[in-house]
Amino acid sequence: MSGMPLLEVEDLHVTFRTASGPVHAVDGVSFTMKPGSSLGVVGESGSGKSVTARALLRLFAITDDVQISGAVHFDGQDLLRIDERRLRDVRGGQIGMIFQDPLTSLNPLMAVGEQIAESLRLHRGMSRSEAAAEAVELLARVGIADPEQRATELPSSFSGGMRQRVMISLAIACRPRLLIADEPTTALDVTVQAEILLLLDELRRSEGMALMLITHDFGVVAATCDDVQVMYAGKLVEKASMAHLFDRANHPYTEGLLRLVPRFEDAHTGRLHPIPGQPPITGGGGSSCAFAPRCSYAVDRCRSEVPPEVAVGPQHLSACWLATDRAKDNTEAGQPWRRAQ
Amino acid sequence: MGMQETTETTPPSQRPRRGGLRRWLRDLRPASDRLVAGGSLSGLLLRRLRDGVIVLLLVVTVIFFLAHVVGNPALVFAPVDATDEHIAELHRQFGLDRPVAERYWEYLVGLAQLDFGESTWQQRPAIDAVKEALPSTIYLTVVGLGAAAVLGVVPGIVAGARARKPFDKTSNLLSVAALSVPNFWLGLLLILVLGVQLGWLPTSGRFETASIVMPALTLGIVHGGRIFQLVRSATFEEMSKPYVTVARSKGLTEWNILRRHVVRNTGVTTATIVGWEYVRMWGGAVFAIEYVFAWPGVGLLTIDAAHRQDFFVLQAAVIIAGAFVIFSNLLIDMGYQFIDRRIAAS
Repeated sequence: MSGMPLLEVEDLHVTFRTASGPVHAVDGVSFTMKPGSSLGVVGESGSGKSVTARALLRLFAITDDVQISGAVHFDGQDLLRIDERRLRDVRGGQIGMIFQDPLTSLNPLMAVGEQIAESLRLHRGMSRSEAAAEAVELLARVGIADPEQRATELPSSFSGGMRQRVMISLAIACRPRLLIADEPTTALDVTVQAEILLLLDELRRSEGMALMLITHDFGVVAATCDDVQVMYAGKLVEKASMAHLFDRANHPYTEGLLRLVPRFEDAHTGRLHPIPGQPPITGGGGSSCAFAPRCSYAVDRCRSEVPPEVAVGPQHLSACWLATDRAKDNTEAGQPWRRAQ
Repeated sequence: MGMQETTETTPPSQRPRRGGLRRWLRDLRPASDRLVAGGSLSGLLLRRLRDGVIVLLLVVTVIFFLAHVVGNPALVFAPVDATDEHIAELHRQFGLDRPVAERYWEYLVGLAQLDFGESTWQQRPAIDAVKEALPSTIYLTVVGLGAAAVLGVVPGIVAGARARKPFDKTSNLLSVAALSVPNFWLGLLLILVLGVQLGWLPTSGRFETASIVMPALTLGIVHGGRIFQLVRSATFEEMSKPYVTVARSKGLTEWNILRRHVVRNTGVTTATIVGWEYVRMWGGAVFAIEYVFAWPGVGLLTIDAAHRQDFFVLQAAVIIAGAFVIFSNLLIDMGYQFIDRRIAAS
């Protein structure tokens, strides 16, 4: 039982058909999560990290012309193949989800208590009054003062951080085994960010649920996650444990992202280290390394063949033609992204 | 401006949309706002009532000046071969030789007592003719609006929620056809098909229960088309908001998302749209429809009065129809203040 993964994603592809041609938002992503583990998914906007999360629950708008292939094994079933009814049991029941913008994620005309109770009645079969009482408990659980009163109020009377707390209480209402948080702190003030991350981490430990945290900010991952995977143009380019990645980042893209984290030591120089260029807007699906045009290490091979995932250490994969050489460099001379500063 | 103006503190984007006239009036009203200030619903009702009275007064004044000052009723009533002396005599008889201010005051006092003058054609007070016609028009417009709401609101919600699916495409096409067809032509078409060829329904007048069906259906189709368009786009817009994705991530069915979340949020818009269509009916369609179907309402009365140069009936019909529109507008306004807690709270 303990060895069984909670979530196993196999060769996930998500393609949007748009007026200007297909966009391969997710291009062959595979990963697993153990029960109670925490995984950070890092990448720029458009790297496919949010689409990956949404694809797990098939949460797309009705107007999206989207094709999903691969497999998402969760609790003995393939979420991509089960019918709508069983999928709805998983949504909000076994998998909870938190979204980026707490200001628009709640129904502006429904009391927050009612929005939480809705889930409870649906998945835990509670009566109206039981659900209302439990909603108050949940609000207290995420640190909202005077929960009885607050439960009857509309989202407009809550601040951004408080709304994200409400959103979290909603997502964990049915004690999910997996909580997916899609950029949960991006829209919040820095001090509030820290509180929300602390709350997520604390809830993960106390409820024993797994946490998948999607972000563009390595700082957020570092504070919360055991494992991390980096996405670029719909592909996973590097996976490792958090500690390992910080010490031995292998992929040039990861290196670039780590350089982007502003550091106090850089304050006097006032210098940031942006990665030149833009990620491709059509996602993956090419016949070269998608990062090659922006990579300062790129060699000819990078522009003609897609690099495979290479093991560069225990539980450490990197999709780069130079991965093995770079791994050697890393152990010998330390992190180039640190050395470069 | 005054501290009591609680409504002025909301940012412009959150204020309910208002016409230019309303905005202009708002600038005029700070003084009386102090008398009827407060964010309460009854305070708001008082303010809206006052605004309504001001608008009605404007309507009445414009009519007075157009008819009594710019125009010359004596010329209208005089026979074609009347001599100048005869016209002067009529002029005196109507009291047109007296000062404008005096006549205006008398006119207002008369209106306040519901005295609109005598009908020259029907030989009775003009107000009686309008009173007799009014219930027919109210009946027709209310049934017509009901038909429009049934044809527009529910399909609009479904089409918005299933955007770009076959139902949406089909109903969208139909609604565009419905709202672009001239209403009188549609009325004639219905008369031809349902009345003359199939013989299912009476074609004109108001003599039996079924008489209402065709005129109300015509109104329903034309106005339902526009209601459909607006409700559809409001629903579609609402469906793309993040909270709908959240509701989906909670495991709600599409039907429950629509029923419990989306409709609640589009309710205000829908109520406003339907209310506006009611006002629009009074503004025009009802005249054409009543004429086509010989429906004995205010529209037909107005057209008849115009034909027969029955000035006082014409004036009474226009003022009362105007008052009715203003009053309906007020009801819509209050209704939607009531629905939306946010607007009421701000």
